[in-house]
Amino acid sequence: MQCKDIETVLEQEGLEPLPAEAREHLAECRECRSYVADLTSLVDAAHKLPSEIAPPERVWISLRAQLEAEGIIRTPAAEPVVLERVSWWASTRAFFGHRVLATAMVGILIASAAVFEIRKDRVAEKNSTKQEAVREVPLPLQALPSSNHTSNQTLNQKSTAAPSASSAPAEFAGTAQALDDQEPVATGLILSSRSPIDASLRDNLKKVNEFIAECEQHLKEHPQDQLTREYLSAAYQQKAELLSAMIERGRSVN
Amino acid sequence: MCLQMMGIIPAWSGLRGKRGILPVLSAALFVWGAAPAHAAGADQRVERKYTVSGKPVVVIHNVANGRIEIKSWKNSEVDILGTQASNKIGFDIEQAGDRIDVTANVLDAAAQPLELEANLQLTVPEETELQLKTETGLIYVEQVTGDMKLESFAGDVHLKEVSGYIIVKTTGGSLVCSQCAGKLDFSSISGSAQILQPQLNNVNLMTTTGNVLFDGEFVRTGLYSMKSGRGLVEVRFSSNDSFDLKAQTSTGTVDNQAAAFLKPDTHGVKHIYSNLTHGFFGTVGKGLAKVELSSYSGTIRIMRRD
Repeated sequence: MQCKDIETVLEQEGLEPLPAEAREHLAECRECRSYVADLTSLVDAAHKLPSEIAPPERVWISLRAQLEAEGIIRTPAAEPVVLERVSWWASTRAFFGHRVLATAMVGILIASAAVFEIRKDRVAEKNSTKQEAVREVPLPLQALPSSNHTSNQTLNQKSTAAPSASSAPAEFAGTAQALDDQEPVATGLILSSRSPIDASLRDNLKKVNEFIAECEQHLKEHPQDQLTREYLSAAYQQKAELLSAMIERGRSVN
Repeated sequence: MCLQMMGIIPAWSGLRGKRGILPVLSAALFVWGAAPAHAAGADQRVERKYTVSGKPVVVIHNVANGRIEIKSWKNSEVDILGTQASNKIGFDIEQAGDRIDVTANVLDAAAQPLELEANLQLTVPEETELQLKTETGLIYVEQVTGDMKLESFAGDVHLKEVSGYIIVKTTGGSLVCSQCAGKLDFSSISGSAQILQPQLNNVNLMTTTGNVLFDGEFVRTGLYSMKSGRGLVEVRFSSNDSFDLKAQTSTGTVDNQAAAFLKPDTHGVKHIYSNLTHGFFGTVGKGLAKVELSSYSGTIRIMRRD
């Protein structure tokens, strides 16, 4: 067997098991031995590589923003999603069909009603005594009615709120929605942190949100303003990168 | 009272008579109080030296607070000096061929910010590629000629006499680039950029709320784009420069203090003015370089330096 034949055998049959003739040739040929050794180490290294690395969310968001800005893709108008054409009564009956599930559901309803009553009493009591004071207290993210708010926001500081996806121009609606979805996750991860870096990140998020809101408002009034459109697109990308950094940092700290 | 009687603590009346001693005693107490922490900080020190061949790549990831300083020398060696305020930070340094990785890790998540200070001082061959990532604290690079990517959340970036393809990304940190050459990309949310006496032939500066200042020469055939969402974009050029200028803003203002030196476009290109933006086109000299300035709601200022 010649050196050329070894290459053919390796191409066709792989590294193992090598035929007896090939093994005999390898025992005599130093070059082929080193060739097989190199190949073996390459295969080993390849096996150790991670199967697939998913790109971070910001890559998709930036990509979408860019494609939308260039008019290559457009977000379809929101349509009601009909999963199955089943009557509401049939689906409800099927849901409650199981007795255990029905009992649990009733239990949850009773408990919810009780909690609601207790909370209503407490809120009414507070409102009657300190109605104005309550407005000054910062609310944590989870307590806000909408997820589009930064962590340190107070009820009377609505200017810090993230711009709503609904106010975004149609071509950016998808990007704005994706960012709105990510924002509570990102701010939630560094919510309790007192680190000056996290404070700086929150402050910059507020700034970029305000700028986005301003550009969106301007585009509503002047939809043909291409310069503002470019700034808005860049601001979305910056926000995506910022949220990604906040998530990364939040995960590493927690 | 007992101690006073025993003579260990002097009576107040006695001390009042020696008022001049009080500031000295206070200062001594302050220094004594601060001394252990300072000494502990000085004790935590890492020094390494690595021999490299060709153009090395230095990668630094500093999650601690602190300054990163990089200077160059003629030796084919990378010298690393790390100092840290406490043992709650650890340096991981490794060499793989011509690549050197330096990582400062937080070892105790409960550590206070003051305990998380770690400074790095590197001396590298002139032609070194840099990839630095830090959270806060200054990045200072001087006389390095390789490509570099510098990322920071809140820290500023100061570059002096560097060249290559320079990428700077910050969230709130500002950039000061003195006598830089090559290509520069800067992006930030609230950080500002100052480009002083540059020899850059390709510049892209973008900040959302920060300011931009370009004070220097526009290289012939160079491309320059400077944008700020809300801040000031200021350009100071010299009478020897040669460039085409386009300035536009959506809701801001253009302060053209060099109108006398800007001629209409001499290349025969008919520019279309948008009704929705304010701005102008103009040419200095033969219009060899291309300069684009824009701001969404800030001010664009154009001045002649000499």
